[in-house]
Amino acid sequence: MNAPTPGGKAAALRTRLPFSEREAPFGYALVLPAILYLTAFIAYPFAMSVWLSLTDAQAGAQKWNYVGMDNYSKIDNYDLVANDFVLFDGKDEEAKAFAAAKKDGKVVTTPDGDRFKASLQVAGHDVPLVALKDEGDATYVATTILQDLDWQAHGGKVVAHSADSPLGFGNYGDRGEAKKAEKESLLVKAKTQLKANGTGVQQDPNFILSVKNTLKYTFGTEIIKLFFGIPCALLLHRKFRGRQLLRGLLVIPWVIPIAISGQAWLWILDSTYSVINWWLVHAGVITPQNILNFRGNPDLAMLSLVVINVWRGFPFTTVVILAGLTSIPDEILERARLDGTNALQRFAYVMAPMVRPILMVSLLFSVVFSFTDFNTIWIITRGGPYDQTQMLATYAYQVGVNAGYLGKGAAISLFLFPIMAVTVFGMLQSLRRENM
Amino acid sequence: MANVVLDKVVKRFGDTEVVAGIELTVRDREFCILVGPSGCGKTTTLRMIAGLEEVTAGDIRIGGESVTYKAPRDRDIAMVFQSYALYPHMTVRKNLSFALELRGLPKQEIARRIDEVANIIGLTPLLQRKPRQLSGGQRQRVAVGAALCRQAGVLLFDEPLSNLDAKLRVHMRTELKRLHQQVKSTMVYVTHDQVEAMTMGDRIVIMNGGRIIQVGTAMEVYDRPATRFVAGFIGTPPMNFFDGELREAVMLPGGLELPVPRPDLQAKAGRKVVLGLRPEHIYLHANGRQNVSKVPATIDVVEPLGHRTILTARSPAGLLQLEAEAMPGLKPGDNVDLFFDLERAHLFDQADETAL
Repeated sequence: MNAPTPGGKAAALRTRLPFSEREAPFGYALVLPAILYLTAFIAYPFAMSVWLSLTDAQAGAQKWNYVGMDNYSKIDNYDLVANDFVLFDGKDEEAKAFAAAKKDGKVVTTPDGDRFKASLQVAGHDVPLVALKDEGDATYVATTILQDLDWQAHGGKVVAHSADSPLGFGNYGDRGEAKKAEKESLLVKAKTQLKANGTGVQQDPNFILSVKNTLKYTFGTEIIKLFFGIPCALLLHRKFRGRQLLRGLLVIPWVIPIAISGQAWLWILDSTYSVINWWLVHAGVITPQNILNFRGNPDLAMLSLVVINVWRGFPFTTVVILAGLTSIPDEILERARLDGTNALQRFAYVMAPMVRPILMVSLLFSVVFSFTDFNTIWIITRGGPYDQTQMLATYAYQVGVNAGYLGKGAAISLFLFPIMAVTVFGMLQSLRRENM
Repeated sequence: MANVVLDKVVKRFGDTEVVAGIELTVRDREFCILVGPSGCGKTTTLRMIAGLEEVTAGDIRIGGESVTYKAPRDRDIAMVFQSYALYPHMTVRKNLSFALELRGLPKQEIARRIDEVANIIGLTPLLQRKPRQLSGGQRQRVAVGAALCRQAGVLLFDEPLSNLDAKLRVHMRTELKRLHQQVKSTMVYVTHDQVEAMTMGDRIVIMNGGRIIQVGTAMEVYDRPATRFVAGFIGTPPMNFFDGELREAVMLPGGLELPVPRPDLQAKAGRKVVLGLRPEHIYLHANGRQNVSKVPATIDVVEPLGHRTILTARSPAGLLQLEAEAMPGLKPGDNVDLFFDLERAHLFDQADETAL
């Protein structure tokens, strides 16, 4: 026991209060449902998905084995591959002659320091191709380029192109080594690529694509929403007849469930019956033979998703900015007029800074909304065509549920977490600074 | 020279005429108060001078130059708003310098003016703060400071003290009056508070229903109200009014006969009149005064103020209020004789309410 303190007596008195009079038990009883809820529906599933992502769990498998970080990022090695070697660059006739002389060409391998340099001798030209550690490898690569690749002469250039797969230049333990080899091995210009090999999702090209898509989708749509939302809010801030009606109509896209409006969009984007195509054909922009296949073309599919997200989300942005504008007292704007501002200065120096805190909140909500959006993508494209519009949310579902790789699916979905955390933290920080 | 001339200025919102062709000249460096009940058009008048409200008809001239169709920023004016209208995202210093920077003043000049103004109104320790870190009175001072920095010819105030608590309001009243003696601007000040109007202004413009009723110094409008409205509006507690008829004396209900000592009244005999008498001109004791009339009354309410006591009493002519010394020793229900000071009585026509 502690030595008696002046507060000791009061503390003793407090503990002697009858149970029904004490505040603490009642307080705990009040927060208990919240704690139970958070534990059962937030903390447990989150912990479970973290655990899943560390196993090789598969739907239907008897036993899940702990595999550590394998699902996330295990890079075993890098393959250096190349294609489209530029063999000749000069005059048109000479290039044609060069390409025509392919059948008479031959490969010459000479030592070059501690390596071997393979060159092509074609039509009197000596073209250094590669420099490799092993003489056989150098000869093999050069011979393949000479004999197996398709030479195309065009515009004074002769390019050796592989129709099926790029040429392998070797296997490297780490990225730096591979990059160094890429610089030193190839003696002609070519299209090179480093391929990471491993079992984690980071080695899955579709995963990388889905991260890029998610970022594009989220920040692209945010910028567009602001671009339209700010002028629209400024317009609705003015007093005119029918303003209330317009404000009401504006939020319709936001309040209609995407499951319903998605069907309308599917119809609008239909490959055969698209109303957009109908318009474009009637306006003479395109012919019926080359109508746009909105969901079949990767770029158009992505564009469609962005348009739909903007269509749904920009009313919210507008309404929030409008609320911010409305909260600016008239007297401040009048004072700004007296102070000598023109309309643009009033917007830049007075209205924008005063709207900024609320704008940050709207941006925060909107970013989370787009970042975790599953519905729009799943309804419109299902991540297609051939996975080109997969986002993290849809790809996690695709891999984890549809394909049954629960562990990898969990790993993919957990990638949302750190990115989201950093974004939200940054925005909250800037909000706090604003309020200082 | 920054005098302000309103030449038959009219303002209509749709069919409603808010300002009905007023004519007023505010002299250079004058502290002019526009006062009246809410809806009398005083704020609209001020906003028209500022250029925040378009003028329907008439002409406004500042310093001899017509500004009726000029933008607010091109008039030689600065304004202090009721809600202070400070930019919440700017420091106090930036609030003061904003208008000056927009006008492209050199940096040293801006710094010099801010230092000067901050010294006059005691803002120096607050310059780095944001408005939300300031108390109501401090914000008020920043708003005044921002207007002063402009060194405009005319300073406009739109009920600047109405958001302050009573004590601070009295303090700021004195400060603003002192400020007017220090700076060289013409000031036009709108208020609905007749005490502010009386204490602060060189001249008071009393408005009602979009018209100017009377213009004059505090003592002029107090001693010689032009209408019953002015008489009732100026002074606390308000003037007592009794409906009556003019014969050889003023006849009030309850058979009271008050021989008001004014020779010119004989000619107007027979008219319905209103007799007005301020509470301080009804006495509990005659004390040998001439021209007082005795009126019996019953004390209704006693309200001690400390230095004086306000008594409400029932008389045959109606309910009335009077101001007595600190401790009159009366309680509700006491019957007393009151003495009306007829030399200080005001007479108004019952029909058009103008002073007789």
